Amino acid sequence: MEAAAARRRAQPSGWWGMALLIATEATLFACLIASYFYLRFKASEWPLGGIEVPSVVLPLVFTGGLLAATLPLFLAVREAKRGRAARAWWLLAAAAAVQATYLGLQIHLYASDMNSFSPQENAYSSIYFVLLGFHHAHVAIGLALDSWLLWKLARGITNYRLIGLRATALYWYFVNVAAVAVVLTQLSPSL
Amino acid sequence: MLVVAGLVFLGAVAMLALGWLRRDKPGLPWLGESERANTTLVVAFGIAIPIVILVALFVVSDLVLMKETDAPRAGETAMGMTVVGHQWWWEVRYGDSDAVTANEIHIPARTPIDLVARSADVIHSFWVPELNRKIDMIPGQANSIELYADEPGVYRGQCAEFCGLQHAHMAFRVYAEPPARFREWLANMERPAREPASAEARRGRRLFMENACASCHTIAGTEARGSIGPDLTHVASRQTLAADTIENTPRNLFRWIRNPQSIKPGDKMPGLGLGAARFQAIAAYLSELR
Amino acid sequence: MEAAAPPAARTRVERLERIWEEPPGVLGWLTTVDHKRIGILYFFTSLAFFAAGGVEALLMRTQLIGPNQATLDPATFNELMSMHGVTMIFFFVIPMSLGAFGNYLLPLMIGARDMAFPRLNAVSYWIFLCSGIFIYAGLLTGNAPNAGWFNYVPLASRAYSPGPGIDFYALGLLFVGISTTAGAINVIVTIFKLRAPGMSLNRMPLFCFAFLAVSFALVFALPALNTALVLLELERLLGLHFFAPVFGGDPILWQNLFWIFGHPEVYIIILPAFGIATSIIPTFTRRRMVAFPLVALAEILVAFLGFGVWAHHMFAVGLATATTIYFAAASLVIVIPSGIQLFSWITTIVTGTPRFKTPLLWIVGFIVLFILGGLSGVTFAAIPFDQQLTDTYYVVAHFHYVIFGAAVFPLLGGMYYWFPKVTGRMYYERWGQASFWLTFVGMNVTFFPMHLLGLAGMPRRDYTYSAGLGWTGYNLIETLGAYLLGLGLLAVAVNLALSIFRGERVGADPWGGDTLEWSTSSPPPEYNYAVIPTVSSPYAMWDREDREADEANLEAGRRTLEAGHETPASTAVDAEWDETLEMPAKSLWPPLTALAISAVFTMVILQRWLAAAICTAILLLVLAGWHGREPEEA
Ligand code: HEA
Ligand code: HEA
Ligand code: HEC
Ligand code: CUA
Ligand SMILES: [Cu+2]
Repeated sequence: MEAAAARRRAQPSGWWGMALLIATEATLFACLIASYFYLRFKASEWPLGGIEVPSVVLPLVFTGGLLAATLPLFLAVREAKRGRAARAWWLLAAAAAVQATYLGLQIHLYASDMNSFSPQENAYSSIYFVLLGFHHAHVAIGLALDSWLLWKLARGITNYRLIGLRATALYWYFVNVAAVAVVLTQLSPSL
Repeated sequence: MLVVAGLVFLGAVAMLALGWLRRDKPGLPWLGESERANTTLVVAFGIAIPIVILVALFVVSDLVLMKETDAPRAGETAMGMTVVGHQWWWEVRYGDSDAVTANEIHIPARTPIDLVARSADVIHSFWVPELNRKIDMIPGQANSIELYADEPGVYRGQCAEFCGLQHAHMAFRVYAEPPARFREWLANMERPAREPASAEARRGRRLFMENACASCHTIAGTEARGSIGPDLTHVASRQTLAADTIENTPRNLFRWIRNPQSIKPGDKMPGLGLGAARFQAIAAYLSELR
Repeated sequence: MEAAAPPAARTRVERLERIWEEPPGVLGWLTTVDHKRIGILYFFTSLAFFAAGGVEALLMRTQLIGPNQATLDPATFNELMSMHGVTMIFFFVIPMSLGAFGNYLLPLMIGARDMAFPRLNAVSYWIFLCSGIFIYAGLLTGNAPNAGWFNYVPLASRAYSPGPGIDFYALGLLFVGISTTAGAINVIVTIFKLRAPGMSLNRMPLFCFAFLAVSFALVFALPALNTALVLLELERLLGLHFFAPVFGGDPILWQNLFWIFGHPEVYIIILPAFGIATSIIPTFTRRRMVAFPLVALAEILVAFLGFGVWAHHMFAVGLATATTIYFAAASLVIVIPSGIQLFSWITTIVTGTPRFKTPLLWIVGFIVLFILGGLSGVTFAAIPFDQQLTDTYYVVAHFHYVIFGAAVFPLLGGMYYWFPKVTGRMYYERWGQASFWLTFVGMNVTFFPMHLLGLAGMPRRDYTYSAGLGWTGYNLIETLGAYLLGLGLLAVAVNLALSIFRGERVGADPWGGDTLEWSTSSPPPEYNYAVIPTVSSPYAMWDREDREADEANLEAGRRTLEAGHETPASTAVDAEWDETLEMPAKSLWPPLTALAISAVFTMVILQRWLAAAICTAILLLVLAGWHGREPEEA
């Protein structure tokens, strides 16, 4: 396994596949964010219909937390490349724990937003919930990838699992960037 | 523009014909088998010449012509009007006059008009091929365009954006008239509906008011105040019915109100099934509304 | 390989046969991961959709044969009109080019043994099939989409389209979009990773450049459509608001999103055709393409520039003048790369020694029709002209010239060209030429009068028209032309169908072809090449020494990879040998996955939310099952 990875000079196919998937997903987020601003600049007031501007602190703190999980993830890949399965497992588990906490807190926030205004109210509330919902769905998918890897890595590293881990890490880097873009868009009326 | 396009096309086809004639000989006539010459040819015909043509086309059509046909600025025009697209008919209002008509637009000839295009439901597109370029009617948006007829006459217009089942039967007419005739016409349109003269027509009016007709149509001067269908105050003065679908003859009027669905299947106006005699009376009433 | 091969080579070939064998019969087709079989599945499925779309078109034309006809009622006409556009674009041209031609030919042309992700490839096909069935289920249950292929809101909103028709449109396109995205990613990775060691990017055939450009365009264009569709479905199914002005929405948002996808889409449709043209022309003119690097660049440039012109479909919505002028200028710029390619084809034909066999005929026809269609496209970039002609039959004429003439003609030419490769038999040449002329004449008789009809003021999407407007004659001619066109296509179909069974048998390379696929037997073996080919130019078949090197390599057992289900992976640009990949073999997971996804979409359209959630869970289980076993464990 280590031998194959070491000899390889180019990125493996799995990495390319993930990179391209990310390219389409990033474009999807770009379209959603563009739609948000399109609606915003057509509107006379924003948020519409007297909805309160979003509060800034919690979403920023949560996003900071999510970004912090990048480090263990990055280290997990490095350790896995060196063939240290156990360390990679623990680092990945740490990252996943942070990410799961992030998702839990965000969903809590999402639900409490829903209590104060509904997605069906107007274009602002609709695009607000959709943008966040998409982002949270991407985090959830990332967690699914994490758990699949944790299950696999518990039984050692193979070339296949290593590529999987690298692809998953790449995916999370993208989700982190998307998180920043989304949170800035979300908070733009308050900034 | 079509001439230039024709020339480009013929040139390219001539080259292909050359290819056929020289199918057994490699290389170019005169220039021979030089890869440099070939590439130069591609660059010349594929890049250099098109750039010249395209720049010329752009300047002429998009910069010069655009200016001339742009929507009018405030104050430049003599008159304003609003046309509202509905599935599948047109509501027409004039500047600050109270007149409301449908499907037939009268305008003074040789007078630039600032036309505001709106929609009551889905997207339509206002288009009189001989008078104006298309302008879409979009809900929540007011687009404007200049309508100008340099000759008196009747011009056919139609909806150009797909708007559902009866998009094909959403046409209208523009009557460009000498300004005096137009003012006279407008003055008539501003008057409320005239009282029915015959007994049959009086019965027709009662039936109209008692049935669902009145909940969809307005007849100024009566209690009919609906806004779903066209204003019928002067319906008999129109040449056509149902957005230029049928001629406005007494027989067609009767056919229409009795069973609109057979003329425009899927239309928003239902057949009410009141029986021939009652429809006859209503038609008698409506045909007096000049 | 040839029967006369020496014993050492024979044993190698036999070993490869054993390793790459797939089960026979239906099970073999269900579980296949062979790009060639998947390509064939794509071919027949998209052909069936072509026939469906064609029948829809003929029905429309029959209704329009004269004024005030009642062959179709307006509701049916609108459904057929919408289904025709949707079918032809999403279920015929794209799967036919990317799925059938791309799948079958790309690995062969780059000297690989399969696509980069064989099982993803299979699942793309099964999803495509299921999504086609899904959207046609709408038609069969009387719930076909009816708001046209660009489906403008608010006509497509719940208020004006209450039935499930539009849901079939939106969900069906999301559904097939999964397949297309997966297919595009697969193509890109295949081209980047699996080129035969030695085939650096500058030695790659132009065909592959075209498919690379298409796939990149898809990766970046589809998300815009998907965004629009998701927003629409959220509005229709859950009552959110994006497009209704009373709630602060804007119907123009839909138009922007749709055309940001829609314009790149039209180049996605035509680029594979360009690729096919650049394969057929060198073979039949017996020379390399003129200005090769310029053409490669132009192919990429067309795909790229296509993203900057979308609002030229919206010149009548009342955008700011400066905006329209920008988009008009951009639409003119895009002519340049088309011009480069066009004159490269023409110059190549002029300077070569062309043999006008059926495939080349289709390409010449394509060139003529593309010029005409392209020129009518350029006229739209003159804004006042467009505002006069948009949404008339002039537009219908433009896009059938570029779509049917310029995109479908090369596909048909390609069917003839590669027919001997895929079947090992030759079609009937005279019939082939006759079918070309029938179709070519029919095409022009059908679509040329549409220009005039548009100039005479007939709007598109009218289910009928009145007499006395000067439209009757044109419409009659068009309808007759359409029947002729149908006859021409039928002749193509009959010719090819008969030749499958009765055509004369041919060897590996009946044409003196230019690219690698002609070096392997016809039809190619499961493993494509016993020896990974040596490549030193984009016209690999014309490099004699390389092909001799292949034979020597087989003899000596170099570059044969006979230890398992293997193919080499190379570095992305220079194509240096990087590693040997173990490729996945037959699998039942792809069709199962497609079934699970179908279940999810079905539950969503029925608005059974709980069931949809359960089906999603099942889908996740299937995916976990699929990825439970690794190649190394197998
Ligand atoms: C295969 C698909 C395809 C292709 C290749 C094209 C090519 C082009 N199209 Fe077309 N188009 C469509 C498919 C396509 N189109 C479709 C489907 C629609 C309608 C959608 C709908 O409304 O339903 C449409 C509609 C459409 C419109 C909107 C019309 C409207 O609705 O109002 C416009 C406007 O600018 C346009 C422009 C162009 C241009 C400038 C090109 C250029 O790329 C053409 C370039 C090619 C040439 C010009 C010919 C070769 C070059 C030369 C011979 C060199 C010399 C030439 C000159 C100097 C001019 N197209
Ligand atoms: C790939 C794209 C494609 C193709 C190939 C075609 C092909 C044809 N189209 Fe088009 N068409 C569109 C894409 C396409 N179309 C789109 C996008 C629209 C816009 C829809 C909208 O407004 O929303 C449209 C709209 C459209 C209209 C306008 C409808 C309206 O505005 O009211 C018309 C009208 O005549 C028409 C006619 C035809 C005809 C006669 C053909 C003929 O060429 C069809 C001929 C085909 C056959 C008869 C099938 C034959 C098949 C076999 C025999 C099977 C075996 C085959 C082989 C082996 C080859 N089409
Ligand atoms: C549900 C609403 C509705 C009802 C009820 C209704 N109409 Fe209409 N009517 C319409 C609409 C909408 C149109 C425009 C139809 C079109 O052109 O597509 C119309 C058109 C007409 C026209 C043609 C107007 C023109 O200028 O072209 C006449 C006349 C007419 N209605 C009379 C009647 C009479 C009489 C009744 C009652 C018996 C009636 N309508 C009931 C909605 C209604
Ligand atoms: Cu109104 Cu089309
Ligand atoms: Cu376009």
